[in-house]
Amino acid sequence: MSSFDFNYLAGLFPILFRYLGITLQMAAMASVVALVLALVLALIRVFKIPLANGFVVVFISFFRGTPLLVQLFILYYGLPQLIPALIGLDAFSAAVIGLSLHFSAYMAESLRAAIQAVPRSQWEASYAFGMTRIQALRRIVLPQAVRTALPSLMNYLIDLLKSTSLAFTLGLTEIMAKAQMEASSSFKFFESYLAVALIYWGIVLLSTHLQSKLEAHLSKAY
Amino acid sequence: MVKFQSMLRYVAASVLLVTSMATVAQETIKVGMSGRYFPFTFVQQDKLQGFEVDIWDEIAKRNDWQVEYVTANFSGLFGLLETGRIDTISNQITMTDERKAKYLFSTPYVVDGAQIVVRKGNTAINSIDDLAGKRVAVNLGSNFEQLLRKHDTDNQINIVTYDAGIEQDVALGRSDAFVMDRVSSLALIKKSGLPLALAGEPFELIENAMPFVDNAKGQQLQLAVNATLQAMHQDGRLSEISQKWFDGDITRK
Repeated sequence: MSSFDFNYLAGLFPILFRYLGITLQMAAMASVVALVLALVLALIRVFKIPLANGFVVVFISFFRGTPLLVQLFILYYGLPQLIPALIGLDAFSAAVIGLSLHFSAYMAESLRAAIQAVPRSQWEASYAFGMTRIQALRRIVLPQAVRTALPSLMNYLIDLLKSTSLAFTLGLTEIMAKAQMEASSSFKFFESYLAVALIYWGIVLLSTHLQSKLEAHLSKAY
Repeated sequence: MVKFQSMLRYVAASVLLVTSMATVAQETIKVGMSGRYFPFTFVQQDKLQGFEVDIWDEIAKRNDWQVEYVTANFSGLFGLLETGRIDTISNQITMTDERKAKYLFSTPYVVDGAQIVVRKGNTAINSIDDLAGKRVAVNLGSNFEQLLRKHDTDNQINIVTYDAGIEQDVALGRSDAFVMDRVSSLALIKKSGLPLALAGEPFELIENAMPFVDNAKGQQLQLAVNATLQAMHQDGRLSEISQKWFDGDITRK
């Protein structure tokens, strides 16, 4: 029986922090792209824009219906066999693109639900004031929808952060990869995975703190 | 005039292309590995090291190459190779028939196989034939019992299956030998510090080598790496690296 090695655990943090930047950059860039893309997808579905609507339905179905790991493999290893130009795609970009597409599909549905939950009377009242559809959306409907969507969007952003650990399959060394590598030479699996778990948890605590501030801000009018 | 100018431009472009290709020719060799297979390739205090790293540092030094290590999950390594993002894999890749059909392989640099291990000083056992009438320990779930039975057709060997602790049992003299793959045996002897020794050559050989993509660049690399590996075999550098990590020579039979 080996006992818990606290010093080893403490010594891992400085090493893992060196790779935290990669994890955070990947998560931050993918979050922004995914949110923007999700809004576009959601609006296409809400307004049932011809042709585009059908495409979005298939897009969401595929990216929710297949594992993220499979999507990353297809993007980074599969497609370059068909389209040689894609070999130039680096691992970081591939991971960001994969995470963005995957999570935008989920978030689009959250946003669509939130937009459709805003009562029809809000739209009608906006039109009665002479607003266009875009103005009604931007000024009246979206501010209400975002407030409703925020908790579930945050769920997906947290999931996205943790999913960056799959990037090691593309050869990108982030905190999870580093923890696994250190564990496989020291055989101190518990300490290594505990260290990386605490780091993920810390980031999530920080972001949920920001979320509650944002929620309070958005609820001021209520 | 216009023709001449465009020709000049063409020449200038070609010169640029050729010089940039010349720098590419001196380019770094990208070697993929998992970083998670102790003591072949592992990370300690953020430093990638191990048997594979020592071998590639040496190959690169002798060829005046730059070597860049790319660590990726094992499941991603062949994809990286296939898409040209790395030039080879150095991660104890076993030369199977399927892989040999698809990739070019270097000459094997590690020979592994089923290995008989005895208590230090036991000179009576030197091959599988000497095991008749002896008590031989194998690990539960391994295929070494079937391998032994394949050679021992008239059930002469008393094979005992263990869940754990076969090394202790042989060191204590309760069993005459245990059978395990050679690389793991060496690692186990080194780690446990028990009075054990390898007996004879491994049987049922497995050969591990480095794969290259089957194209012009891969062929070129294969030739250069093979020549270097042969030189490293001859001057003992390969054995030296093996001794450093395993206290034994896993680079030949």
